[in-house]
Amino acid sequence: MDTKNILLIMKKEAGESLKNRWFVLYTICFSALALLVLLFSTMGGDIAGYSGFGRTAASLINLVLLFIPLIAIITGGVSISNERENGTLPYLLSHPISKNEIFVGKFLGLLITIWFSILLGFGLAGVGVAIIGQQGDISGYLLTVLLSALLAACFLSIGFLVSVYSGKASKAIGISVFLWLFFIILGDLGIMGTTVAMDLGIKQVFALALLNPTEVFKVASVLVLSPRFEILGPVGVYAIRTFGQQGVFYLLFSILIFWTLIPLGYGYLVFTRLRREEK
Amino acid sequence: MIKVADVTKKFGKVLAVDSVTLDVQQGESIALLGANGAGKSTLIKCILGLLDYRGEIEIQGHNIKENPKFSKSLIGYVPQDPLFYDMKTVSILEFFGSIRGVDDKRINNLLNLVGLEDHKNKLSSELSGGMRQRLSFAIGLLSDPPVLILDEPTSNLDANARGDFLNLVKEHKDQGKTVLFSSHRLDEVYFIADRVLFMKSGRVILDEKPENLASSLGIKVKINLRIPESSIGDAISILNKEGFVSVGSNGSGLYVEVEEGNRALPFEKLIKNNIPIEDFSLQESSMETVINHIEANGY
Repeated sequence: MDTKNILLIMKKEAGESLKNRWFVLYTICFSALALLVLLFSTMGGDIAGYSGFGRTAASLINLVLLFIPLIAIITGGVSISNERENGTLPYLLSHPISKNEIFVGKFLGLLITIWFSILLGFGLAGVGVAIIGQQGDISGYLLTVLLSALLAACFLSIGFLVSVYSGKASKAIGISVFLWLFFIILGDLGIMGTTVAMDLGIKQVFALALLNPTEVFKVASVLVLSPRFEILGPVGVYAIRTFGQQGVFYLLFSILIFWTLIPLGYGYLVFTRLRREEK
Repeated sequence: MIKVADVTKKFGKVLAVDSVTLDVQQGESIALLGANGAGKSTLIKCILGLLDYRGEIEIQGHNIKENPKFSKSLIGYVPQDPLFYDMKTVSILEFFGSIRGVDDKRINNLLNLVGLEDHKNKLSSELSGGMRQRLSFAIGLLSDPPVLILDEPTSNLDANARGDFLNLVKEHKDQGKTVLFSSHRLDEVYFIADRVLFMKSGRVILDEKPENLASSLGIKVKINLRIPESSIGDAISILNKEGFVSVGSNGSGLYVEVEEGNRALPFEKLIKNNIPIEDFSLQESSMETVINHIEANGY
């Protein structure tokens, strides 16, 4: 792979994203909501052990859970399918550049722009907290930013997998939105429903939660921010007793990396080896 | 320069290219002719390495499957309907120039060459069809590749833009570039091609020089002659006697079909017999005529 070509595609993708009005709107909304969350979170005192940075990060988790997976999976979903539909992909491939370079360049370019918007949102909120002069766990806040970045990478790679299989952007968006709904809403309901219907034990509920990257992110973020293990409920207590607090965190962190690498690797394989641009 | 050996491409059960073998020499210009669906574009996409295929394709001795990036660096490709990113004209050239390792001086030279210097800050979506095609040609020339492949490059252009574009291609052909192009227009074939390959159902069924195309296919030119109404009967008799088979009245005169190279013959015969000719028009063979003729005769 030629690094020059990868950097070129990265630059193009980042430049196009930053000019894309939807992406700009998303970044503005995310940043504005982060500031609002900050505003509301500073209204009360110490709530459930959270204060300052910790409380802001905890409030941002819900925002992250809603926004980041959606924008990441849709951005990934249209990344290749849109070029395929427009006909720019075959034209690009008629030049001395490989599909490997295009795939890697696109992924990194888009990941950087999504990370930029996450950093902007968290950054603004962080600056706000600092200005207000509140104290708190800054390392927990930074770890939440890191987990959010990882969640974005995870959903971007799922989007890429959708994209390599889609000939049209509209199809990719449809599948992406369905998967987002599945992970965000149906995933939660699914765990609850399955737990009740099958009378699952704590161990099984924990294992079931690990299958959903948004659940993994949620648990990891709460774990990072909370000094009290019981806030995670009986499942959290079980997990911490079994693996230790650090062990659980590393486990959840590894699962998010796994959720990033597996769809990305498979998408890469399909795009570069298994699927030809036949039209 | 381009070697295609026993290349076959199937889309599902449809055989788009069927065991095509061809050898294009350096500096040679080849026209691919054929009806829609004959396999011209598919063959071009195979040569560009965009499609998977059976067989072997080499560009200047480099196998496109084994060494795709280097092989593609030897080719400048101009598609039928160039699709660009929505960037400024100069940014598009810079983008593809970076892939091909080209500097800004070359980009400025090419903008001048294709007449887009004044439009370099326009977005690609703001360019006319002719400008887009010229931009596509400039992209094809970025690294000064020895091979140019053009897939029906003038099909969306008006007469003026087509003329300008063909002159550009001819100029580079004359400078020694190897050119492979598909077309629907006989005038383009006569203007640029050294050899014509006619494709039907994925196979090359005719390989001929353009000047011999009409005669080898027996294609005729129709001449409409305006002559006084009182002389039409005599004129038809004279031409029939002289061996012209397809002769008839067309209202204001008569028509006669002659083989390429014999266009002056009916004039000579009629003037010799004191038949006055007031005006005339030529009906050149169209690509449809050629296609219909080849299809009908099963070449």
